Amino acid sequence: MKFMALIYADESVWETFPDAERQAAYAQYRAFADEAGAAGMLAGGDELAPTRDATTVRVREGETLVTDGPYAEVKEALGGFFVLECGSLDEAVQLAAKIPGAEHGSVEVRPIYVDPAEVQP
Amino acid sequence: MKYALLIHGDDSAWVDLPDEEKAALRAEEMPQWISLFEELSKADPGVSGYELDGRSTARVVQVRDGERIVTDGPFAETKEIVGGVFLVDLPDLDEAIRLAALIPTAKHGSIEIRPLQE
Repeated sequence: MKFMALIYADESVWETFPDAERQAAYAQYRAFADEAGAAGMLAGGDELAPTRDATTVRVREGETLVTDGPYAEVKEALGGFFVLECGSLDEAVQLAAKIPGAEHGSVEVRPIYVDPAEVQP
Repeated sequence: MKYALLIHGDDSAWVDLPDEEKAALRAEEMPQWISLFEELSKADPGVSGYELDGRSTARVVQVRDGERIVTDGPFAETKEIVGGVFLVDLPDLDEAIRLAALIPTAKHGSIEIRPLQE
């Protein structure tokens, strides 16, 4: 089963990190990805640009409305995700606890929906 | 530039529907989704997408002082939560906006476009 681990953290903390601390954080993420990958439990992942680079799109009554900024102004924003390959939700939760962001932010684990009848891109 | 198109929507009405009604709604929206998938694949043959299960399946994990804290439910306490994401490589933001507006749920929810970090 595939699960998505959505990583929420306070962007303002990250932005104030000196370079050395950022490199250390990236090294921790690489170590997590290497370990999970070697165990066959990692199927993907990406880091998102900060919310100040976000654009939000809505369509109302046929009209496309575009606004600068994220969908919601929140203290802890979605900053990235991993796609985990695990046998159960419990296993996915255990693995997600090893994601470095869980130490200061929050990691939300959600099963990825699979509908065999559905056309996937 | 690679973008994440994050699909935010209110799934509370959806999760309570009986399976037959869900299937009927899916069937009704399916032509729009198929034409979206075609447009996305045309723009980037390597496009990928994930649909997430509803909020009742969500767990939040935090580690504080070495202790694991697991809570039920999604992280955001808002009505609209992330329901899925497309990852797509596009020439510019305008193209991302054009494709985001083609996502059927943009008509009642919101699509947040975020560039991916290299």
